[in-house]
Amino acid sequence: MSKTKKSEQNHYEMLFIIPNKFTEDEAKVQVTKVEELVAAQGGAITYREYWGKKRLAYEIKHNHYGYYSLCEFDIDRAAIAKIDNDLRLSNDVLRHQIVVAPVLSNETRARQKSLSEKLAVKKEDNEKKVKTNEEEVKKNSTSTEEAINSSKELDEKMEGILSAKDLL
Amino acid sequence: MAIKKHKDCYFCANQLDVDYKDTRTLRRFVNFYMKMLPGSRTGVCAWHQRKLSMSIKRARIMALLSHTHK
Repeated sequence: MSKTKKSEQNHYEMLFIIPNKFTEDEAKVQVTKVEELVAAQGGAITYREYWGKKRLAYEIKHNHYGYYSLCEFDIDRAAIAKIDNDLRLSNDVLRHQIVVAPVLSNETRARQKSLSEKLAVKKEDNEKKVKTNEEEVKKNSTSTEEAINSSKELDEKMEGILSAKDLL
Repeated sequence: MAIKKHKDCYFCANQLDVDYKDTRTLRRFVNFYMKMLPGSRTGVCAWHQRKLSMSIKRARIMALLSHTHK
C-alpha cells in the first residue's frame, strides 16, 4: 500500500474571527464573503456555525472582541494553501485556522453536544452546592461584616465634617 | 481518604472527543497560570493527552484560551 492518500478530497474545518470594526450585520456579510472564497476554490460547505460576538482571550491587533464563525467543507488538499494565503492577507479576517476534521453525522454531533452540555450542568450544580455552603459560612460571620460597614460609615462621616470645615 | 491510584481518563469515560473549540472542558486541564497540566495530574490517558495538548494549543491560537494568566 502506498503511504499517500488515495483521495485528494479531504474534510476540513475552519474557524475564523472577523474584527470588531464591523457591526453585527456587516460581520455576517464578511462571513458569507469568506464562505464564497472557499466555494470559489471548489469547496463544498457542509456545516456552518455562527458564534457571534465573543470576547477574545487576549488582544489581537487592538481588538478585544471578535465575531467567530465556523464552517466545515470538503475540498482538494491543494486548494487549502490558496485559501490560507488569501485569508492571511485579508484585512477583514483577524485570524483563521484550518484543521482536518472528522466527518460527523448530525446524530453524532447532537449526541456530543448533549453530552458536553450534561457534563457542564453537572459541574454547575456542584459549584452551586459549594456556593451555598460558602453562603452558610458567610451568614455565620455577618456580624464581623456589619462591624466593618459601621467603621466605613464613620470614615465617610469624618470626611464630610473635614471637608465642611475646609469650606468655612 | 484512600489514595486514588488509578484515575479514569475523562475522555474515555465519557466517550468524548477532544475538541479545541470546547474551552469549558479544556479549562479543566490547565492550571491557574493557564499552563497545561501533565498527564500524571490530569489522569487522562496518553493517547488523549496528546490530543489534549494539541487542542489547547489550537485554542490558544484562536484566542479561545489565553496563553498566560493576566
